Amino acid sequence: MAVSKKILLVDDNPLVLEMMGRALSKEGFYCMKANSADEAMAILGLERPDIILSDYHMPDVDGFAFRQNLIAMPIYKDIPFMFLTSEGDNELMLKGINLEAVDYILKDTPLPVVVSKINNFLSTVREEHERTLKELSVAAMALNLHSVPQRLPVIKGFEVDFWHKSFQNYPGGDFIDFIKIDERYTFIVLGDVMGKKWGAWYFSFGFLSYIRAAVRICISEGNFSTKSILQKINAVVYHDPVVNDVLSSLSLLMVDTEGGLITYSGAGDLPLLYYNTADKGLKQIGSSGMLLGLMPDGDFDEQLLKLNTGDRLFIFTDGIIDFEDTNGKKTDYNTFTEAVKPYLAQSFAAFKKSTFLQGKTVAHIDDCSLIHLQKTDQ
Amino acid sequence: MILLTNIYKDALIAGIQVKEANLTVSDAFKDEMTSLLDKGNKYIIVNFEGVIYVDSSFLGALVSSLKYALVNQAEIVVAGLNKDVAGLFQLIRLDKAFKIYPSATEAAERKS
Repeated sequence: MAVSKKILLVDDNPLVLEMMGRALSKEGFYCMKANSADEAMAILGLERPDIILSDYHMPDVDGFAFRQNLIAMPIYKDIPFMFLTSEGDNELMLKGINLEAVDYILKDTPLPVVVSKINNFLSTVREEHERTLKELSVAAMALNLHSVPQRLPVIKGFEVDFWHKSFQNYPGGDFIDFIKIDERYTFIVLGDVMGKKWGAWYFSFGFLSYIRAAVRICISEGNFSTKSILQKINAVVYHDPVVNDVLSSLSLLMVDTEGGLITYSGAGDLPLLYYNTADKGLKQIGSSGMLLGLMPDGDFDEQLLKLNTGDRLFIFTDGIIDFEDTNGKKTDYNTFTEAVKPYLAQSFAAFKKSTFLQGKTVAHIDDCSLIHLQKTDQ
Repeated sequence: MILLTNIYKDALIAGIQVKEANLTVSDAFKDEMTSLLDKGNKYIIVNFEGVIYVDSSFLGALVSSLKYALVNQAEIVVAGLNKDVAGLFQLIRLDKAFKIYPSATEAAERKS
């Protein structure tokens, strides 16, 4: 993972800002500079740094008051903070410690030492963060909770595989499941609980449970309609006070091995990408349904597709189409279409190694999930 | 504050003050929207002018605010979506849940 080093420098002395900025830029930091606490607040509204290095003595709002203001705001209080001060007196230090300032740098410290101090500090914060993450992951593993399958189903006449990357290695809101009913029918589930990290991850199990239950109940009643299954899930989610404030997308596909038929219904999901071997064409397959739990009637529909040997379906969540360029983050469905084109003559395993998907691993913009289904010879 | 609000005719325009509307601001956004609805605003225009990226956490907060608005007999519309964000709204059918206007003033005039 590329280590992000975005720093916000706050100092009323333009010379100090310039010198610090240069020294830190050389060390790979992306520097944002503010002449005052007010200017720093304006920058914070636009971009979130990994660390703030602020002068103590500033006119109007000093470093002390600035830090106090940040602590009062939940979205900023956790950003690691260091004071840059020309004073070393104990009283000042004590005041700062009460403000949860994590470290100090004296202004006359040689620049290389300043840089290494900041680097060390960031590493400590990261290590602590990773340790907590690991402990939580171990707890989740102990509970045997998985939001993606541990093994792939065997579906006669089809090859199915998936690629999943969580956001910054947190379990997240994306969930994948393969529900094999019998040798003939298998359901493919891909959902995205809106949100990231633990909150979304927790709810992904709630949604998965409803989906599994709805699929099983409908099948036991002889109802093989993906539209009708979505309607049932939507009705429950809409009325359930535990999850009705949490929205989720869902792509639900039923594979019928007799005839290679796919039935598909979607809820606020991205259109599937369908590759037809006969005309070598890529086509979006969209559905009309709205996000689960949004409206009492989700306006769901159902599409029927017949896959012939070699035909492929790509089912994915929005993390796959998010990317970052020099102008910032963007979302564009066509980036996926273009990325997959050169791999259509190759296996999905080859695409998993593509620079496009490997890039998603490094970029860490969102949870990313992609399911690939291909019709093979019987 | 994520939102800068001002009254225009009988509408409340809530302008998003960040370039990237993502996880880091989604909770604050939802709290501010809830508070605007609690104050009795019945027609809120969420102005996306200047926003270049919206992630699913933020969309979740927006949609959740819409559900809260419906319970309170209020309406939330969106305006000023750039091409990418408008494309995303269409892709995941949020254009069926929200009325979308080219600009906040047009939304206030209820013209598309």
